[in-house]
Formats: sequence, structure tokens, C-alpha cells
Amino acid sequence: MSERITFWYGCNVLRHGDIIHICLHVLRLLGIDAQPAGGPDYCCGSVKDGNQTAADGMARRTVTKFNNLGRDRVVAWCPTCHSHMTEFVEQAYEANFSTSHFVDLLYEHRGALAPLLKHAVPMRVLLHKHVGFNDKVAVNAKVPALLRLIPEVEVIEDGYAAPGYMCASLAAVPGAMQDMFRRSLRLVAAHRADALVTVFHQCYRELCGLEAGEGTKVFNYVHLLARSLGLEYVDEYKEWKKSGPNAGALIGEARLARVGVKFFERAVLPELVKRPALKEEEK
Amino acid sequence: MANQPMATGALKAFIHSEAQRILDACTKCGKCVEACPTRRYSAPLTGVEPGTVVTGILSVLRGEQGTPEALGWASVCVRSGLCVSACPEGINPKMMVRIARIMASGGLGGPRQIPVRDDRDFFDRIRAFAKLQLTEEEMRNWM
Repeated sequence: MSERITFWYGCNVLRHGDIIHICLHVLRLLGIDAQPAGGPDYCCGSVKDGNQTAADGMARRTVTKFNNLGRDRVVAWCPTCHSHMTEFVEQAYEANFSTSHFVDLLYEHRGALAPLLKHAVPMRVLLHKHVGFNDKVAVNAKVPALLRLIPEVEVIEDGYAAPGYMCASLAAVPGAMQDMFRRSLRLVAAHRADALVTVFHQCYRELCGLEAGEGTKVFNYVHLLARSLGLEYVDEYKEWKKSGPNAGALIGEARLARVGVKFFERAVLPELVKRPALKEEEK
Repeated sequence: MANQPMATGALKAFIHSEAQRILDACTKCGKCVEACPTRRYSAPLTGVEPGTVVTGILSVLRGEQGTPEALGWASVCVRSGLCVSACPEGINPKMMVRIARIMASGGLGGPRQIPVRDDRDFFDRIRAFAKLQLTEEEMRNWM
């Protein structure tokens, strides 16, 4: 009988439909019965620090929904969701499931994953690391181990890990974000890396802008797994980001109409145009 | 069959109990501040003794006004977690600062002492990206 899990992909990774689809494809190949769950209706509530009445209700709602799915294990993609669930939500509300992380799941199944990774991906990659979250899930050790299962991927050994647990947290500390960008670019050049590879989606969201401005190739680690599996994917977010102000043309009128052109221009386009801050801002 | 609904308010109660646990255990030694990799990005922390910063954080946990250096530290916390292993009392300073930040944000009903990013489009933006990349069936079954 196959393992039955809830694959809790979270909220912000919905910018990267390709990442969600790749994860589900990998889970299917591993014979895992995964029920995807995410988006605002499954939000962990961590975005509501300033309103704990709302956060409380969201936490209770999400635990109840997971309990009702009747699966013993919730596998989170997002480190924020994972941390908030384990550190806060499960401490307050009775969860009839265990919470683990997608990296842990892949690492557990690495023996089955390895023979599926048949296509060589000749690339020297620098993993973008953070110091945080590793006390919960050892992503800085496990993701390189997973990448090394891919034929001809070389993972560069480098000790730098940015502050925080994911780039999203650095957004509130612009100086730290800027230092991270600069250091990452210096290391890519110093190691002559072919690409910078992220663990998490929000780091990917921030860093893939480097491909537009600096020409530095950036991938999420599941993109490399997909290539080695022979799985075709379309990384639309990166293409939109590279197009910047012309992203709407790539998306097309029909899809823009689904979200509303005015909303797209006001609430979506600004982040697609935004580029990593590498220089001191003009005073 | 669905589980019985759980009573609301347990998360807020947990945060209050954690705050009290930390207030009871912290010795204000300041090792957590010393270990923090982002404190250098907060101007109010410059030249302030680490123990003094923690004293201000504990004031926030008691529901009092935080000092500039305490609010500055809470504002640059990015959850690196290096403070957790640095704490000789095992109190989890990452949790301490997170709760201080929640309280300083007015999250439990007190006055707002630090700016809070109020992104009114947050969830609609998430839904928009879903509409751009997922099928109707995926959105119906996964969200």
C-alpha cells in the first residue's frame, strides 16, 4: 500500500506552478499518494503577526482541514509553514498528523529516487544557503546530497550561508538582502559556478532576477531533478521576471483577463519588474 | 466524519504562556544578542550592551513599551536561529524575539510599537498567480 500524505505546498509558491507540478510528479514516481493542499484557505497564519485573532482562526481552520483529510503525514514545502505549524500551531491545536518537510521526504526516498535520475545535467552549481531552519530540517546537507544523485551535477563546497532561513525574511532588512546578493554574485564568480541553486521558492523569487540583470543562471533544486528525470517544465515566473515590464505580453490577454488587468498592473507587475538591489540607493 | 471543532483562542493562549515561560527563565545574559548575525543592521543597537537589549525585549513580553534597541532588534530578526544554541538556559530566544515582535506589532491587542507591513493584496496576489498557472480543476481540488 502506498504512503498517503498531504503535500502542503503553501501560499507563495503558487507563483511557481512549475515547482508544484515537479514536486507532484516526483511524488508520483516514488509511488507516494499525495493530496496537494495550499493557497489562502490552507494558510498557516504566520503572515498575520500583527493580528493574532486572525492568525489564531487561520491556524485552527488549517489544522481542522488537515485533520479532516485523514492523512497521517503533512509534508510541507515551505519552511515558514513548517516552522509555524511545529512551533506554534501544533502547540495550540490538536493535530492528528505529523508534520515533516519535502526535503526530508525526498531524502528518505533517495534510494528509490537515484535510479530515476537518468539524464545527465552537466553543471557546476553553488547552493544558496541560509543559516536558519537547519536545526529543524538539515536542508544545507540534504539538498546537496540529493543534487549529487544527478549524473554530472557538481555541487561546489562553500561555507557561506546567508542570515535568516529564507530570503523572504531578509526583505525587511534591506542591508542584509543587499549583502546577500553581492556575496552570492562574488561567490558565483569566484567558484566559476554555472548556476546558483536555491532550496526554497522565496529565495528563488528574489534571486532569479539576477538572471535578467546580471546573467547569472538561477534554478531551484527541483528544476535540476526534473531535468534529470527527463521531465519537461516551463518556468514561467522566471520568464516573466526576465521580461519585466513586458511580462503581460508573455502571459497573454486571456490569462490576464482571469486575474484582471488592473489588478495585475497594480499588484503583480511591480514584483516582476523589481530587480535585486546590488548598489547603494541614490540619496 | 469530520472531527469535532476545536475551541478558538488556543494559539493566543499558547503565546501568552510562552511569554511567561521566557520571562521566568531568562537571565538577561545577552548571549542571544551576541550570536545574532543581523543585529549590525539595526542602528539603535550600536554600542548597547547585549543584556540591555534583552531587558527591553522582556519589557515588551510583559506588555510594556519596548526600548529603541529592543524594538530595533525585533525588527531585524530574520529567524537565523543562532541564538537558540547560544542560550545557556535553553529558553529559545528565537521564540522570545518572535513573540516580542508579535506583541510590538499590536498582534495581541496592545499598542503598535513597530511598523507592520499591511499588504492588502497578499492573498489576492496568491490567487492571481494560481489562476495564471493552475488549471481550474487543480484550483478546485488543491486550494
